[in-house]
Amino acid sequence: MHSDKKLTKEDTWRPAALRRHIREEERGDDNVRRRDDNERKPRGGESVERRRRDPEKESRRERDKPREVTRERRDEDEKDRHSERRKEGSRDRRGDKEKDRKDDRERRRERDKLVDGKRNNDDYKRRDREDKHEREKDKERHRDKEKVRERDKERRNEEDRDKGRDEREKERWREERDREHRPERERRGGEGERERMEKHESEKRERHRERERRKDEYEDKRNVKERRERHGDRKHPEVTDEREPKEEQRRHKEEKERRHRDRGYLDEKRKRDSEPRERRDLKGAGEEVRHHRGDAERAERDKHKERRQREEKEEEEEPERDPLGTSSKKSASDKSHQQETKTEVANDEDLADQEYEDDFEEYEEDFEEMDASAGEGEDEREPQHPEVGEEREELSAQRKEEIEAIQRAMDEENERVGTAQSRRATSREEEEETPKWSRGSEKSQSQSRASQRGMFIDFVAAKQREVSKKVSTKQKKRSTELLRLIDLDFSMTVSLLDLPPVNEYDMYIRTFGAANTKQAYVQCNEDNSDRDIQTEEIEVCEKWTQHPPEHSGACGDPNLSHEARNKSETSFDSQRLTAFLRSASQVMVVLLEEDRAERKSLRKLRSQTDTPSFSDGSLQLNTNLSFLYGRRISLVHFSQVQRHTMMSVHSPTTKPSAVRLDSSTVICIWNIWEPSRPQNVLVYESEVQCCCFSPGKAILVFAGTSVGSVVLWDLREHAGDHYRLTIGDDEWTFRQPTFSTDAAMAASSHVSSVTSVEVVPSTAPGGLRSEVPLLASEEESSGLSFQLASLDEMGVLNFWVVVELPKANEAGSPTDLGLRPGGKVKLLHSSHLLTAERVSPRDAAKTGPLQTLLLQFLPTDSNHFFIGTNMGLVNHETSHGLKAPPKCYSFQEAGVRPIDVTSIHFSPFRQHLFLVGCGDGSIRLHDVSHEHPVAEWKNGTAGEPVVSLQWAQTRPTVFCVLDAASTLHIWDLLKNDAEPVVTERMESDRVTAMAVFGDSGQQNSYSGIALAHESGKIEVQYFTRHFTVPNTVEGEKLESMMAEAF
Amino acid sequence: MEGSDTYLIRPNHQYKFKPAIVKECIREIVRERLSGMRYDPEEVPELCRSLGECVKDKVKSSGFDKYKLVVQVVIGEQRGQGVKMSSRCLWDADTDNYAEDIFLNDSLFCMVAVFGSYYY
Repeated sequence: MHSDKKLTKEDTWRPAALRRHIREEERGDDNVRRRDDNERKPRGGESVERRRRDPEKESRRERDKPREVTRERRDEDEKDRHSERRKEGSRDRRGDKEKDRKDDRERRRERDKLVDGKRNNDDYKRRDREDKHEREKDKERHRDKEKVRERDKERRNEEDRDKGRDEREKERWREERDREHRPERERRGGEGERERMEKHESEKRERHRERERRKDEYEDKRNVKERRERHGDRKHPEVTDEREPKEEQRRHKEEKERRHRDRGYLDEKRKRDSEPRERRDLKGAGEEVRHHRGDAERAERDKHKERRQREEKEEEEEPERDPLGTSSKKSASDKSHQQETKTEVANDEDLADQEYEDDFEEYEEDFEEMDASAGEGEDEREPQHPEVGEEREELSAQRKEEIEAIQRAMDEENERVGTAQSRRATSREEEEETPKWSRGSEKSQSQSRASQRGMFIDFVAAKQREVSKKVSTKQKKRSTELLRLIDLDFSMTVSLLDLPPVNEYDMYIRTFGAANTKQAYVQCNEDNSDRDIQTEEIEVCEKWTQHPPEHSGACGDPNLSHEARNKSETSFDSQRLTAFLRSASQVMVVLLEEDRAERKSLRKLRSQTDTPSFSDGSLQLNTNLSFLYGRRISLVHFSQVQRHTMMSVHSPTTKPSAVRLDSSTVICIWNIWEPSRPQNVLVYESEVQCCCFSPGKAILVFAGTSVGSVVLWDLREHAGDHYRLTIGDDEWTFRQPTFSTDAAMAASSHVSSVTSVEVVPSTAPGGLRSEVPLLASEEESSGLSFQLASLDEMGVLNFWVVVELPKANEAGSPTDLGLRPGGKVKLLHSSHLLTAERVSPRDAAKTGPLQTLLLQFLPTDSNHFFIGTNMGLVNHETSHGLKAPPKCYSFQEAGVRPIDVTSIHFSPFRQHLFLVGCGDGSIRLHDVSHEHPVAEWKNGTAGEPVVSLQWAQTRPTVFCVLDAASTLHIWDLLKNDAEPVVTERMESDRVTAMAVFGDSGQQNSYSGIALAHESGKIEVQYFTRHFTVPNTVEGEKLESMMAEAF
Repeated sequence: MEGSDTYLIRPNHQYKFKPAIVKECIREIVRERLSGMRYDPEEVPELCRSLGECVKDKVKSSGFDKYKLVVQVVIGEQRGQGVKMSSRCLWDADTDNYAEDIFLNDSLFCMVAVFGSYYY
């Protein structure tokens, strides 16, 4: 057999060539080999592991299925091999080996050709090569068939040996498996496991059968003869086995020696490589492993016999070197590798066979190990050999029986055993799953052994399983029913979270933007904020206004109210001040004038001794004015109310003067206490015949002119409105008449010269007028509502109403043509009376036309007026109503004489008494109620015509008479009712006019007489005390005089 | 249960899974638990678990009868990375629904999704 084998080998490979080849390969493929070693190491480990686990793997195959393909395939192959082993035993194996050898040869050849790199990936290469090998092998098989037949004999021996070993080992394996299965079953328990086991078994069996069939077909062709011989050879192993223990040691040594010898340094190297692995593989087993290996080798040797031992080793080692070329395993593992490679190269069936062999050897090892560790050793193995060796064909049946037996045993155990082992079982399972079998094999074995002794199957778990199975089926049913009703669908893909990546800048800002930074400065000079306002701060204060404005003004300020009030007060005061100053200045001026006039008069008195006797002092009005120069004073008149106000009428002069007022009359209004200059200067174009003041305040001046017009001046008019003339240092205002009847009222006005103008007293008839109502009326008269009467020579009496216009018209009035522009006071013609018809034509023829010369109103009744005529009579008439008696007042002797009545004056104290002065120098005292006079003094003036006659203002019984001879007569009826008490004749400068003034009502009563001299001077003489102070008996005197007369 | 079984294959309306309510639950819990939190890899796993439990309990108590709930909590640190999460379900769209809410603050984002699957 061996020789045969050797022969075959040598046919293809001579040892020297082989060695050379190997060396070359090793040199060339050093790297590759090493790599392969590396690769193989785990595989080797795996294979070792597998070797040990195989029995269990058999049962676990189902679970292991998802392993990698190669291994799966190997597993399957293993199964196949097992079954084949059982059935065909040595025959298969021998055939396989033959094939292997052929394959080896083939492979060697191929490998020469093949690129070394291809070897790296074993699996890949093998698969690639498989087809090729198959073909080649087929050819070789045919070619080798003859050789095979030639070698039949040897082969038979070999096969016998192999088979013997196989069977022996198979028996061992079976035992082992049983042993393993049992604990496994015990551990896992449950019918599932059992089922699986059964299934597994049956599966295995099936597969075995199938493979058997195939192999039978294949191998039977070749090994028809061999089969016959096999039976005969079957006894060999028994014999050889007995020798094993002894031979083992020897063989071991021999093997080593041989290796050294054969392979030289390469072998050594390999050994070095392999030893660690060996150690690794068999760590747990320690010495035993070596022993096992020794066993395995011994078994081989038993089969090969001494003679063939060496060759066989070589054979076994050579292929080992060849196919993988790199393996550094020891004989046992070498063999397995050799076979592994063989399996992979072969086609499916071959592969199965080969792997079967491979695994078989692995199993061998496992068994050996187990045997050793179990301590049962060869004792157990020995008796089994015959069993196994007997009949391979019946193996499956046998196995079935065994399985049944096992099941029975398990059932028994299950019944026997309690429940509380599930935990241990799970732990066992975990251990099984852990891939640490190389190390933990011993442990598991010991455990399995332990379980063999005290193990039980967890029946409760099984029950639970069953229950759960029931439930699951129920649920399955439910689900199937429900699924018909329910539509499951895919929901839309819902985006749960979409967080976009932050861009770099944001990230930077987020991390560094605000965290660790602080802004120190900016470039834009932001902190240099400079705020300017161009406008000034607005000053605010409160003001108020009100309309109409009250005492302190139209507006004001509450904050400054005090100042404002002061201001307003001052302003108010200023107004008052001006008023005050105006009046005070007048007073002051008056005082100064008086002072000056007094000193002057004193000086005069000292120089001139011609001071009149009645005079208590005098003052001279300053008529030494350019415009008054050369003018004769025709009239002097005092106001009835403002008794210090005097009016002097300067008649026009023929002499040329600097001022062109020659043809016009100048009227000066004087304040006798301010004699230096006239207060107002009035001018009129024609000669003024008569004049009078308005009642009350002397604000209006009326005048009757020789041309028959009545004019009035309003003294209130502003000086600026009138013609102003600067004469010398002084500025004079010449006032034109405010109203004139010259042209406008020609129809209703006088046609002859006006002889008298008189204000109609506004008193009711019969009422006695006291001073007080007079003053009151004075107030009233400010309203300017009074009447004016004017009488001309023809006896025409006109009544005028004085009207003050509410508003002046600067442009002049279109209707009132007599009104001066800007004037406010005008006269309205009221009524018209003829008073001259009374004169009988006989009288007129005798004396000429009657002239009415004077007009006087009865102070107590304005209805009665008295007109002095040129007949020496005073007519008594009334303006309306019946005529009142007496008709006229005449001389004491009857008859009418052509004597002018030059003056009529009512007594201020006894208003029904009046004096009449006549042109013949006679003076009469009349009572209103009697035609004839109370008293008549025919020679009072020594035949000189009376120019003016006036009662004194302070004494009722005193009156003054001025005659044409410039003699002044002062009568005091109380002292002397026959002749004047004082007769003063002023020769040097003739007196042309005279007016008496005085004020009795005041405390400092004074009285005096103003004398207008021919030279134009106006002299004011104050009466002495006895002419001024009234006497209580005076009234009685007058009464007595009246009583004497009537 | 025999062949004549009657299956309640649709939930009563009032017990139906209402995403709005669940969302509100999530929002409430997440806001309460995570506001002001900073991401801490040490405690986030535990936080996730407790948050999930919390949400689950809360939603359970909301009375969605016969619903299996799956609560998914994801907490991640916000470092500017983009995150995209999506889900897809094979379910009965008539009965099953989900609700999700996202919480973000400076240091972390938290996504909580609750899937309610009707248990027939």
